[in-house]
Amino acid sequence: MRITIKGVRKVFAAAVGVAQSTMGMLAVIAAYILHSDPFGLRAWLYVNTGFPIPLYVLVLIVFGFFSITSGLFLITENEESP
Amino acid sequence: MKRELGFSDALMMGLSGSIGFEIFVLMDYAYFGLAGSSMVLSLLLGGLINLLIMFSYCELSAAIPKVGGEYTYTKAAYGGLVAFVSGCLRWLASVFGASLAALVFTRQLSYLFLRVSPIVQSFISAQAPLIAIAVIVILTALDVKGSRKVGPMIVITFLALFAIFLASGLWHGLTPPDVVPRPLPEGLSGVFAATAYMFPMFFGMRALVAGAAQIKSAEKNIPRAIILSALLIMPLYFSVAYVAVGVVPLGDFDEPLLNLAAENILPGAGGILFAIAGMVASLSALGTSIAVQSSIARGMSRDGYLPKILLSVHRRYGTPYIATIAGSVFIIFLSAVGYVEFLGYAASFGSILVFALVNLSLLKLRKTRPYLKRAFKAPLYPFTPVAGVIMSAVLLVSPIFFGDVNAISALMSGLGLMAMVLLTYYLRMVGRYRVQVALGGISLVMGVLTALLTYLIEIGFVPIILSPVSLYILIFFSVVSILAGLLNVTAGAPKIF
Repeated sequence: MRITIKGVRKVFAAAVGVAQSTMGMLAVIAAYILHSDPFGLRAWLYVNTGFPIPLYVLVLIVFGFFSITSGLFLITENEESP
Repeated sequence: MKRELGFSDALMMGLSGSIGFEIFVLMDYAYFGLAGSSMVLSLLLGGLINLLIMFSYCELSAAIPKVGGEYTYTKAAYGGLVAFVSGCLRWLASVFGASLAALVFTRQLSYLFLRVSPIVQSFISAQAPLIAIAVIVILTALDVKGSRKVGPMIVITFLALFAIFLASGLWHGLTPPDVVPRPLPEGLSGVFAATAYMFPMFFGMRALVAGAAQIKSAEKNIPRAIILSALLIMPLYFSVAYVAVGVVPLGDFDEPLLNLAAENILPGAGGILFAIAGMVASLSALGTSIAVQSSIARGMSRDGYLPKILLSVHRRYGTPYIATIAGSVFIIFLSAVGYVEFLGYAASFGSILVFALVNLSLLKLRKTRPYLKRAFKAPLYPFTPVAGVIMSAVLLVSPIFFGDVNAISALMSGLGLMAMVLLTYYLRMVGRYRVQVALGGISLVMGVLTALLTYLIEIGFVPIILSPVSLYILIFFSVVSILAGLLNVTAGAPKIF
């Protein structure tokens, strides 16, 4: 199998895309945990009552959305290019 | 696809689409929170508005008997952006409806265990969103594997159940509810708000339209089945609601209205019977909605509005697993929110907007394609489609005038989602490369900012205390974001790599 720069780039881009999409999903899950506090996880994360939760939820959702989208573009780049 | 279904099958499709889980949840808030006994009047009003709108569906389904329903009609009339918006709204309505169905399942499960084991019930109530998520995951997996359809047996079972409910209610004796909204005219806003909130109870009969390609003599059978379904559903809902409010007084109840009414009429068994029926209806609706949203997404992908990856089919099961899973992620997210009233309004508003577009499509096609073969024509044209558009607008704004916070939240969220839909369409027109470069830039900035924040926390400039593991995680996030940004920005530049 010939190893080309383009081939290496494709594999690397896919790996980075998967990592970034996963990061994005984790950020959205973290936003949900901060917002809804299932199983009392806020206390486990040392989030106290003075914490600006809505701001952090917004930041995490925006970060998560762009990370997931950017990651998906990298993953599907291989399917679009010849 | 072969046309194998006759009129009775078409009628059953319309009825099975309509009689679903909505009756087990939407009447609660409408009665206890919005209109009181006048909720019965709201159902009658909803039925009449639905009939008006269905005339437009009848004409369009007779003239264009193809798969796709509203998406096909708006595409024929307006093409491009409007068809895309219509498809997205229909998809959103399916997703919101699916989330609501999942929550209704957990609510009915909680009610069932309230009668059987209060300890288990308190656990179920506390973890309702997580249980809803688990149900969605299971049904998504079944859909990917290829599950069997439940079929019209559910309709017949529910019709029998409601017949027993009505007969028992009349035998039990009920206090005739005062359906006139008081005080007048202020009470009317509550009636209209309840109509808008309960409107999803009538949506399902358009499932008939979606299956147009399978019905014999579609141009005749579909309009007849639609109108007959609408005429059968109205008295059914009206009478069930009348009996329910006649046996359950207004109060601060936390339990579903129909379950309470059934328990009052048939102590010991009524509530449990309706809880089981509600759970079955919810699971059926959830499974159907997961499949519907997937088929809408694939249709739009086929037309080039959404990425082609949504057309992927599972190698082993032959099912559209990517579209199914992608939609289910959204359904899970919405179910996790857990706000039943918000989801009820959200599902309603999306579909009401689609109804308005369908009526507008009818007006447009009568003008631009007057010689299209129409086996059925909407009566009293142009009054019917114009009235349909006006009533859709009234239903959209009336909960706002009523001051319902849930409706305002749903409408604001809807406007935000519409903005994203329009942005998506614009980005689709702009082209992949430019979008990728823009995302690469955003990713780079996010990575640099995260790295900067990590450094400032490390030197103590920002007063946040983080463990070493958290700092390493932030560093990892920033490195990945920067790399992803560079890769996206250089995606269309083959000479560099």
